[in-house]
Amino acid sequence: MALRTVLRNEWRLLAADRALRIVLAVFAVLFVYALANGMAWERFQERTVEAARTGNAERVQALEQELADIANGGRPSSPFRDPRAPNVLGGARGAHAAVLEPGPLAALAVGQSDLLPYYYDVSIYTNESSFQQNGEVENPLNLVVGRFDLAFVTVYLLPLLVLALAFNVLSEEREQGTLALTLSQPVSARDVVGAKLAFRALLVVGLAAGVSLLGILATGGFGSSGRVLLWCATVTLYALFWFALAAWVNSLRRSSAWNATVLVGAWLVLVVVLPAAVNIAAGLLHPLPSRVEMITAQREASNEAVNRRSELLARYLEDHPEMAGGVVAEEPGLGALAWAATDAVNTRLEEVSAVHDARRADQLALVRRYRFLSPALLAQEVLVDAAGTGDARFARFQSQVRAFADEWRQFFVPAILANERMTADVLPDVPTFRFADEGPADVAGRAAVPLTVLGGLVVLVIAGAGVGLGRVRGAD
Amino acid sequence: MSEVVTIDAPSASASPSSAGASPSVLEARALSKRYGDVEAVSNLDLRVGPSEIYCLLGPNGAGKTTTIHLFLGFLEPTAGSVHVTGLDVAAEPLESKRRLAYIPEQVMLYRNLSGLENLEYFAALGGRGSLAPEHLTDVLAGAGLPRDAVRRRVSEYSKGMRQKVGVAIAIAKEADALLLDEPTSGLDPQASNEFSELLGRLRDRGVAVLMATHDLFRAKETGTRVGIMRHGRLVTEMSTDEIGHADLERIYLEHMHE
Repeated sequence: MALRTVLRNEWRLLAADRALRIVLAVFAVLFVYALANGMAWERFQERTVEAARTGNAERVQALEQELADIANGGRPSSPFRDPRAPNVLGGARGAHAAVLEPGPLAALAVGQSDLLPYYYDVSIYTNESSFQQNGEVENPLNLVVGRFDLAFVTVYLLPLLVLALAFNVLSEEREQGTLALTLSQPVSARDVVGAKLAFRALLVVGLAAGVSLLGILATGGFGSSGRVLLWCATVTLYALFWFALAAWVNSLRRSSAWNATVLVGAWLVLVVVLPAAVNIAAGLLHPLPSRVEMITAQREASNEAVNRRSELLARYLEDHPEMAGGVVAEEPGLGALAWAATDAVNTRLEEVSAVHDARRADQLALVRRYRFLSPALLAQEVLVDAAGTGDARFARFQSQVRAFADEWRQFFVPAILANERMTADVLPDVPTFRFADEGPADVAGRAAVPLTVLGGLVVLVIAGAGVGLGRVRGAD
Repeated sequence: MSEVVTIDAPSASASPSSAGASPSVLEARALSKRYGDVEAVSNLDLRVGPSEIYCLLGPNGAGKTTTIHLFLGFLEPTAGSVHVTGLDVAAEPLESKRRLAYIPEQVMLYRNLSGLENLEYFAALGGRGSLAPEHLTDVLAGAGLPRDAVRRRVSEYSKGMRQKVGVAIAIAKEADALLLDEPTSGLDPQASNEFSELLGRLRDRGVAVLMATHDLFRAKETGTRVGIMRHGRLVTEMSTDEIGHADLERIYLEHMHE
């Protein structure tokens, strides 16, 4: 009864409070704008992916046509771009764009998808340096401040809405004098504050989840119901954390001004300072090698490889006897020599890249260890993961592209070494890439720990608030 | 002008002490409240029966408000106990409060809501469920609030009008006991008289009233018994039938100068 009574009264208070209505309206606009922004980015990605796919088909069609023309007595368009040469057909001319579809809920969280490439042109020349470079140039301002998407609004701004609605949930009652009359009724401060916060939590979570579901509906993300559930659960838990924190601070029975100061301070520390500190620590403790190092290594290896191609080819054939079918090492073709040099460069780049990857892994491990310090980090991790724009899905894509690049080489390199001539008949057998997306269980498995910790924090803070509010007996 | 509001008889018979000759609705037993070295209430024994208006007199800091807050469960006694219709307030705080109504010195309400909405909220919170707006309007009118004011925002009310909403909240609760903390402070004489009449009507319906006040005249006129507190102690108590206005003033001043 008390719950229903307080909920009804809260509704009336909200309806009568213009300032509160304006705050809610402003946040509603922010949420909708963030969604529109995310949807615009997703559409851009989809167009790019579609263009890459079309490019694949057009390239194959053009090669097929040219090979057929040559077979009928025509001449190649250029002697250096003769598609019959396997290093041309498997090289830049015949390269296949391996694309990553936007995440199932990409419109809600851009994540790092605007920083990381979402397609690679795979050819026999694909090597580690290909994975270190970004194919698309993004708006530098976006890279600096991040995309204004729903995940950003949820993680950074939603706590401010919660605090605006809850920082004085009890102190205001005391300051305006209604607490005495309220607590003279057969209700406890805990019940009243709980009901008031429940109403405000319904508003906030309803707004955040409502706009999210609207976006999911508009982009067809309901096919990934597990991800939708995960998204909504994270938004709810994260909002509850801030409501619980506001309840706990209110239970300390200080003034509204004091509550506001402490809660904004908590927001600053938990949402801004700690995540930044963890990132800075990761960069300082495990600095990534500079990309200049990678480029220098590539150039040095290239120069050296060109000078020692014959020796390198002999060594390559020794290391890869499976590729050596029909090759006479003593009289190698130009393609074979070039491939030997390319492989030597790739090997050197793999060494440099291994250092880079190890440092990056150390950085991630540090961030993962200290993410528990900040609910904002935990929520962001799960939100971008649920949206399919997190690290894990991208790593899966990159790993599949690496495997595909290997498959591509396995297809073309023996022909290069054997100095074979390619015909249109081989085109249907050329490998193609299709990203095998992760299942809901993979995402849920990764989210289990951060969500459990976030839930544990919520329970802990609610328990603290409950104990504190249980001590509130009167209006003093 | 004010309509008579229907108020059910309080259930004083629920009190275990009602089995005795003088059942008490409100009772303090050896009640003490200490803040550090300061004893705000000291070994207080007090009983207020049905249809009784007990006025607690005393200077500021005598312990009157503390006593009322102890009955409300706002404070925890250092020693002794308080009982409402026989229920120990410390053991059953919510059930005790269900049987109490309280009007503070300054009735503060939700400023953005109307008097009617405030009454509806506090009546529902007090356990009366959803009451019809017509009934609540009658209650407000019975408490002296003009009918054309019941749907206006409280931010437009005078202190007297807010006080009347407070009275209406207490009436609507149909409690066994009413606790009043300086209820006429700041009210004009007419409003004070109306308030006294209202208390008389509640007394006639069997409600036990404990009122902390500085107003000796009002205490004599309205109360059935008067107790004088000083330094947290109840130094004397008397029936208002036995004394005149001058006697009460003389006794009060004597105790203040001891």
